Amino acid sequence: MTTSIAASAFFSGSPAPAPVASKNALGERPDSLDLRGIAAKPASSSAAVRAGKTRVHAAVPKVNGVKSAVADVEHETMSSPAPRTFYNQLPDWSMLLAAITTIFLAAEKQWTLLDWKPKRPDMLADTFGFGRIIHDGLLFRQNFSIRSYEIGADRTASIETLMNHLQETALNHVKSAGLLGDGFGSTPEMSKRDLFWVVSQMQAIVERYPCWGDTVEVDTWVGAHGKNGMRRDWHIRDSVTGHTILKATSKWVMMNKLTRRLARIPDEVRTEIEPYFFEHASIADEDNRELPKLTDLKSATVAKYVRTGLTPRWADLDINQHVNNVKYIGWILESAPISILEKHELASIVLDYKRECGRDSVLQSHTTVYTDCNNGSGETTLHCEHLLSLESGPTIVKARTMWRPKGTKPQEIMVPSSS
Amino acid sequence: MLRCHTLPQCRLLAQPGAGAGVLRRRVAPGGTARWGAAPRVSGVEASSPSRAAVEGGERPSMAERLRLGSLLEDGLSYKESFIVRCYEVGINKTATVETIANLLQEVGCNHAQSVGFSTDGFATTTTMRELGLIWVTNRMHIEIYKYPAWGDVVEIETWCQEDGRIGTRRDWILKDLANGEVIGRATSKWVMMNQNTRRLQRVSDEVRDEVFVHCPKAPRLAFPEENNGSLKKIPIRTDPAEHSRLGLVPRRADLDMNQHVNNVTYIGWVLESIPQDIIDSHELQTITLDYRRECQHDDIVDSLTYIEEGEERCTNGSAFAAPHPEEQRQFLHCLRFAGNGHEINRGRTVWRKLAR
Repeated sequence: MTTSIAASAFFSGSPAPAPVASKNALGERPDSLDLRGIAAKPASSSAAVRAGKTRVHAAVPKVNGVKSAVADVEHETMSSPAPRTFYNQLPDWSMLLAAITTIFLAAEKQWTLLDWKPKRPDMLADTFGFGRIIHDGLLFRQNFSIRSYEIGADRTASIETLMNHLQETALNHVKSAGLLGDGFGSTPEMSKRDLFWVVSQMQAIVERYPCWGDTVEVDTWVGAHGKNGMRRDWHIRDSVTGHTILKATSKWVMMNKLTRRLARIPDEVRTEIEPYFFEHASIADEDNRELPKLTDLKSATVAKYVRTGLTPRWADLDINQHVNNVKYIGWILESAPISILEKHELASIVLDYKRECGRDSVLQSHTTVYTDCNNGSGETTLHCEHLLSLESGPTIVKARTMWRPKGTKPQEIMVPSSS
Repeated sequence: MLRCHTLPQCRLLAQPGAGAGVLRRRVAPGGTARWGAAPRVSGVEASSPSRAAVEGGERPSMAERLRLGSLLEDGLSYKESFIVRCYEVGINKTATVETIANLLQEVGCNHAQSVGFSTDGFATTTTMRELGLIWVTNRMHIEIYKYPAWGDVVEIETWCQEDGRIGTRRDWILKDLANGEVIGRATSKWVMMNQNTRRLQRVSDEVRDEVFVHCPKAPRLAFPEENNGSLKKIPIRTDPAEHSRLGLVPRRADLDMNQHVNNVTYIGWVLESIPQDIIDSHELQTITLDYRRECQHDDIVDSLTYIEEGEERCTNGSAFAAPHPEEQRQFLHCLRFAGNGHEINRGRTVWRKLAR
């Protein structure tokens, strides 16, 4: 079910030694960190990254415990080179050179695999919105203009449109790092072992919705999640004003394609993806409350709705004929009463993915609306719990949504303290 | 051009008095707000945004650069490029026909906007509004010779023309930007209707002058060849359908601002009753849809598919079509209300064998 969402595992094409050297350098020279707590790279490797669209300088310094404000990185391309010292230069050069040569060859190979034949790669890459890796390889950024058919009934981009952009940038991130394996859900090393990434949870907070013709800028990056998982975060901004549109985070686990059981991340995969980890949370205050079983919800202040007979159409399926993740959101909202949708907008959503479904599934969507939430200024925010299940019983997705009245300013949202 | 053209929400209604007054438009109420918010002078002087910006000495905005569309020099057609995104790609790793239909709709809208037609969302000229006239889609015909894949860039050119006394036509040509190859063509037919009486209306000279000033005067057809598929009649079949999918339900995302189902959803429904073995082994080459009635959120729809054989087989003689008829499969379709069996759409699809 997640093969349609890009695996964000990354491959560094270069051998391991380079990271070690840099780490030492980093440990010895904390003043090489720029204001944002990220070590700057020498200019030579920056240029190579741009040209090859892969991570040339595999040495991503792991900045332990430094949570830099990525939100400040608005229109940055490459940070300025670190001050060069004798110590810095000596051990790095030969390894760097070897790494660069190897990567260039790998990058050229990857490049020829792409169908698109750019004549002026830099311009076209950005012009057509391919996106680019920035910030020393830690972030991927891409712009989208909102198309007219992506607008919902209230004249703004739907949450599905925004989630589609998240999916697209994740995939382009993986692709420009040069490590798409088969399908959309595995890196080459993972494909060899019949492994793929599965999304287990997704959270998104929407501060404002863009309109037709707006352009949005999407940043995405990956990090670790526990000992055996991965996370991918996103931050969407209005590309003109810089205002935040959406923040999201997702958690991923590794699954074996054949046994359909969870798997440990093999060391080879770990070595490859860890250089790309950037420990920065998009959502400062994640909602970690458990999503309740619907049968537990018995209260006078709830109202329940259901929509049955939902079936996937051909266009809902990914290349493995599983339903694309983003489609679940549409189905979840199918049973939300129209009275909510007309007067409120979705402020946040938490999704727990339990199972996948395919072409022949028939689903039902349940929504339970809590009507007793109030924010500080007395305006009603709504809280709903959702369940999407097969009509035969098994749960596909659980979700929680918060809604604010249309026209509310983002700062006025409050998350209720008890579920 | 006429913004209404580009809102294939309009539909020919068979029942008089049906629909609560206002005929719904496409899923672009955002479009409405936008056009309403930025009224423009109609006419050629309100040229494409990027052109205006350049004339004014400003760099085109990011939106305009990303949109990559503009009127051609003669002002008679509009061209725009789109990159295919991962979620627009289907089980064959290529763009779905719904994606193509969405892009056609998008470029039509942008064309209308670029010639400066400002509307209240009903895509009408001043005269039409005074007379209570609107455009409704009659027929949509799309042929795709090569489906673009994820990351490909598609360049679409579109224009409008008169079509008889009551109609107008919008045509499209799709090309792969990388090599200039034509990968698809499409045409759509629209008629003018009085929104109150629901009767068809002839295009008066006043309206013609307003509407067609931006159209090529000499006929320009996406399908110039004789006996092409876009003109073929779609018969009604009374025998039981070989394949069907019953109980299809509109989703919220399928509805436009006026709560009617949008065009692209009908295409999806038509494909629902195609059998799995055809989907697995063939790809859609041509789809023709005749619109009869519209449907809303609470309707339930049945999708029926009939095999079309014999002399009625498509002989459009196009060089682009599959060279060997044996590699083609052809079907007739009907979408109807599950309750009363009234016809919503009827269609024809032609499938070519996938070279796997």
